[in-house]
Amino acid sequence: MLNKIKSAVKATFPAPEVQAHCDGPCGVYDPASARIAAEAALSMTKKILALETPAPGNKEAMVAYHNTLSRYVAIKEEQAHIAKEELLVLWTDYFKPQHLEAYPDLHDTFWKAAKLCSATKVGVSLEDATALMDAIENIHNIFWATKNRDVTYYTAS
Amino acid sequence: MNKNLKTGGLREFVLWLVRRRQRFRVSGNSMQPLLQPGEEVLINPAAYLYTAPQPGDIVVVIHPYQPGLRMIKRLTAIGDGHRYFVEGDNPAESTDSRSFGPVGLEHIVGQVTSRF
Repeated sequence: MLNKIKSAVKATFPAPEVQAHCDGPCGVYDPASARIAAEAALSMTKKILALETPAPGNKEAMVAYHNTLSRYVAIKEEQAHIAKEELLVLWTDYFKPQHLEAYPDLHDTFWKAAKLCSATKVGVSLEDATALMDAIENIHNIFWATKNRDVTYYTAS
Repeated sequence: MNKNLKTGGLREFVLWLVRRRQRFRVSGNSMQPLLQPGEEVLINPAAYLYTAPQPGDIVVVIHPYQPGLRMIKRLTAIGDGHRYFVEGDNPAESTDSRSFGPVGLEHIVGQVTSRF
C-alpha cells in the first residue's frame, strides 16, 4: 500500500535532482576534443610546409601568399593551444589518484603531450605535430581503459 | 560506514508528509553501487542542528563554488576547523573534496536518512 502511494507520488511530483556526477552537472570527458584540435594543428603545419612562395615582383601573389600563411599560422597556434587546454582538463579534472596507480607514468604522459602542444604551436614541425597525435592516441587508449570501454581510436582526416 | 541504505517505512513517509524530510532524485553514477541514477532518497534537513556530521554519513551538499549545484556524497573525514571531506562512493566517476576541497557545515543541506 505504502509502496503504491510512493510510486504515485514519484510519478506525479518529480523530486528535485541531486547530482552524483563527476565535475558538476556535465561530467562529459572525451579525449576526442583534444584530438580534433591537434589534428587541425597538424593539418595547418602540413599546409604551411607545402605553401609555395610566389615569384618576386608579383605583388598580388605576394599579398595572397602572406594572407594565406598568416591564416595558417593563426589557426595552427589557436588549435594547438586548444589541444593543450583540453589535455589539461582531462589531466587535472578527469584523472584521479587511483588512475595513477594503474598508470604510473600518467603525469609524464600528459606533461610530454602538453609540451608537444607548445612545440606544435611555436614551430612548424611535422615531427612534433605527428608526435602530438601519437601522444593523444596513447591518452585515448588510457582514458577509455579507465572507463572499461573499448573505443576505437580514429582521426577525421 | 553505512554500506546499506534502507527504504524508509511509514515513519519516514509521515515525516516527509509533515515536511521533516525532503525528497531528492539521484542523477549520475558517483554513488554507485549504493545508489543508482534515478533512485529517490529522503534527507533530514535538520539532522545537524544539534549533532555534528559523522564520517560515513551520506549527505546532500551544495558545491562550494557552484551555489546552484546540489550533490549527494558521503562524508569521509573531518578536517581542521570543522571542515568536512565528502566523496562519491564510486571515485572513478566522482568529483568531490579531492578536487574542490572540504566543505563547511553551511554547505551541507541535510543527511540522507532513507530511500524513498
